[in-house]
Amino acid sequence: MLEKYLGAQRARKFQRFLNHCKVTILCLFLTIVVLRGTIGAGKFGTPEQDFVDIRNRFSSRKLSEPHRILGEIHSTTSSSSRSDSSTTSTTNYNDFDINTILVDEEEEEEQGDEFEKRSSNEPYSLGPKISNWDEQRSKWIRENPNFSNFIRPGKPRVLLVTGSSPKPCENPVGDHYLLKSIKNKIDYCRLHGIEVFYNMALFDAEMAGFWAKLPLIRKLLLAHPEVEFLWWMDSDAMFTDMAFEVPWERYKDSNLVMHGWNEMVYDEKNWIGLNTGSFLLRNCQWSLDILDAWAPMGPKGKVRDEAGKILTRELKGRPVFEADDQSAMVYLLAKEKEKWGDKVYLENGYYLHGYWGILVDRYEEMIENYHPGFGDHRWPLVTHFVGCKPCGKFGDYPVERCLKQMDRAFNFGDNQILQIYGFTHKSLVSRRVRRIRNETSNPLEVKDELGLLHPTFKAVEVSSSS
Amino acid sequence: MGQENNLTQKRTTSTGGLPTTTTTTTTNSRNRTLPRGRQIQKTFNNIKITILCGFVTILVLRGTIGVNLGTSQNDAVNAAVIEETNRILAEIRSDSDPSDRNQTETFMSLNETYALGPKILNWDTERTSWLDKNREYPNFVKGKPRILLLTGSPPKPCDNPIGDHYLLKSIKNKIDYCRLHGIEIVYNMAHLDMELAGYWAKLPMIRRLMLSHPEVEWIWWMDSDAFFTDMVFELPMSKYKDYNMVIHGYPDLLFEQNSWIAINTGSFLFRNCQWSLDLLDAWAPMGPKGPIREEAGKILTANLKGRPAFEADDQSALIYLLLSKKDKWMEKVFLENSFYLHGYWAGLVDRYEEMMEKYHPGLGDERWPFVTHFVGCKPCGSYGDYPVERCLSSMERAFNFADNQVLKLYGFRHRGLLSPKIKRIRNETITPLEFVDQFDIRRQHEGTVEPKN
Repeated sequence: MLEKYLGAQRARKFQRFLNHCKVTILCLFLTIVVLRGTIGAGKFGTPEQDFVDIRNRFSSRKLSEPHRILGEIHSTTSSSSRSDSSTTSTTNYNDFDINTILVDEEEEEEQGDEFEKRSSNEPYSLGPKISNWDEQRSKWIRENPNFSNFIRPGKPRVLLVTGSSPKPCENPVGDHYLLKSIKNKIDYCRLHGIEVFYNMALFDAEMAGFWAKLPLIRKLLLAHPEVEFLWWMDSDAMFTDMAFEVPWERYKDSNLVMHGWNEMVYDEKNWIGLNTGSFLLRNCQWSLDILDAWAPMGPKGKVRDEAGKILTRELKGRPVFEADDQSAMVYLLAKEKEKWGDKVYLENGYYLHGYWGILVDRYEEMIENYHPGFGDHRWPLVTHFVGCKPCGKFGDYPVERCLKQMDRAFNFGDNQILQIYGFTHKSLVSRRVRRIRNETSNPLEVKDELGLLHPTFKAVEVSSSS
Repeated sequence: MGQENNLTQKRTTSTGGLPTTTTTTTTNSRNRTLPRGRQIQKTFNNIKITILCGFVTILVLRGTIGVNLGTSQNDAVNAAVIEETNRILAEIRSDSDPSDRNQTETFMSLNETYALGPKILNWDTERTSWLDKNREYPNFVKGKPRILLLTGSPPKPCDNPIGDHYLLKSIKNKIDYCRLHGIEIVYNMAHLDMELAGYWAKLPMIRRLMLSHPEVEWIWWMDSDAFFTDMVFELPMSKYKDYNMVIHGYPDLLFEQNSWIAINTGSFLFRNCQWSLDLLDAWAPMGPKGPIREEAGKILTANLKGRPAFEADDQSALIYLLLSKKDKWMEKVFLENSFYLHGYWAGLVDRYEEMMEKYHPGLGDERWPFVTHFVGCKPCGSYGDYPVERCLSSMERAFNFADNQVLKLYGFRHRGLLSPKIKRIRNETITPLEFVDQFDIRRQHEGTVEPKN
């Protein structure tokens, strides 16, 4: 066709030119694709990055690199095993996904439970207001002499409360550390005559997360009038001084004991001026009132987010996130000091809560220079692993440091229990134990060094009828 | 590309380099009769082009699918962190210990006899005199003998994470029961004696606790896979005042059939006395790891009905001991089967809803089992004897069944036996103490009050 217009030779030249162009364009296209695939052409990125971006846009979570690791490991192991197992009759636990059997029973929720407390329009409250709890309680205690609130003069009846989620931890070793933590608490409480309540129930879905302790505490205070002090302790806190007995006499005029400093709370309004990971609350009307005053910042959603903003603005050093119970307590005390302050004791003479970062490296030094019973910087009562979050996927600290140090703290406390029976861990990182005292045919003459075998704080009154 | 080839050929022919030029003008028409040299060159060019195309294809594929050869800096760092964390988790879950790298495992030979400790002969008198001197540690508290519950688990994480979760639920279950009944708990996570590892580990621990705590009247061993399912039921200790050991079992299975499951050592009680120390000493010899345990296993399989071939376990060894030395020991052993001190789970877990409908807590027997024991499930290991789904869902049901009885005091219960969520069953009130009087399980044992529904 071209030949008609241009002549034969011209046509051939034109055709050659067209061929050249085709080839050039083809090569150019290939070059761009290859370059994009390897280097990434500026903001267009590599195709792999495109894929990741699209995936991220459709899933709502934003993951930060280093903390994503534990989630990836867990999901890769579970997804790879899920794909090649027959679920109905496997006997291999590694192939199994627990979520297939936990039934949340959504149908029931939609119908509405007949006892659900309130509609969303009313302001939040932990429960109906009780105004005469002190009278009700003292009457009950008089009528029930078997359930007195003091085990011995000077020794109140204490209930240690802790808890965790009823679902398995997202981190594969998280449950193991929860188990060690509860064993540690059982040991301390057995030595000191304290009862333990391990909570796995979420009493109020609105107060989920760190606020879940408030409805729980109120419920326990009201259901256990014989308990004089309720000791809340986080699941990531461990006892490291088994011999230290809390000085109950010191708190006879106080209703709330937390670790903290007066200047940091009342003057500086520092958000870490006190710690609500380990505190004592007396069972009385005042406590019910402070719980009611504490709760309003808790309900999930808009209330909690707005409250978080207020707290970040009002408190020193607080980062931006939703309202947490600790900041809310600092704010409450700073704002209403006259109302609550005289019954709040901010203890810093011993580590009712001990921040782990400054303690865990010194355990060997403590073993060399001191002995259990001090409870303070020389031998901390509680080592609290704030920020480690062993049960979740994301913590604020590197995984290795957290888990290894939790092992060390556990062994440090466990050594004090094992020495009662003549054993100790081979080292602070070892799970194995070795004997430090030979078996004898006169076991009753053996005294353990710390006097924890039959401690005075556990003895019953001699005059009690048996 | 082929066209380009032809073009270059055309160009070469126009400059007149090659001898066989006359035939190249017709290459476009696909003339097959090419001279040899030309053919070779053509082939060579084709190969070059093929290689070039292949190379480009690989590069493109690498860019699109992302076959990463680790050149990206970010990816390398990420991979290193993942590897490090994997290593840490594997290290935590491994059995190796930094402190005994140099030790090799030595087993006791068949000639040696094992002893739990130096022989004690006068424990009863020693204990009585200690109790006299230390009246602030009585062995009877409020009319009930002091009981110590002993349970435990291995010190390392379970082979799979779900095992640790159920160990946690199990200890919570035991904490709840023991709080309601004034029993102390010791949770053991240490192997006191490496020779008696595994199911035998309870023996040295029981002995150690007996000798250290003379104020304890009874030591109650309970497996970590056993759950309390009747929170109201209390052991009828007065029934056992003439006995030193209480264990769930059936006399006919034991004496007539010599069955290896005639009794169950997953939940039993030992009185703190000389007799118990002697029994422990007689029980222990089959335990030491290695050739002794293997040989003992063979003897037990030969003598007990239905026992598979495996190393000696404590339950079979105890049965063998009670059978062979019947006159010495059986007088003080109470074979309890009027309630489920140990309740085999398979026949119980499906009936929980029926039980909730027809009966009430406090019975302890087949109507409302005291203990549901998940023998064979082994959630802490990798493989159990039963399908995983059945085991785990049954354990969850048993846990929630028991938890409902605890939550009743607070006015809640689980939404369903498989649900972790709870729902309210009683309104909040400004006079909570009337419900405390009605629902607190501890108050139901004041005197002889019949437990309320």
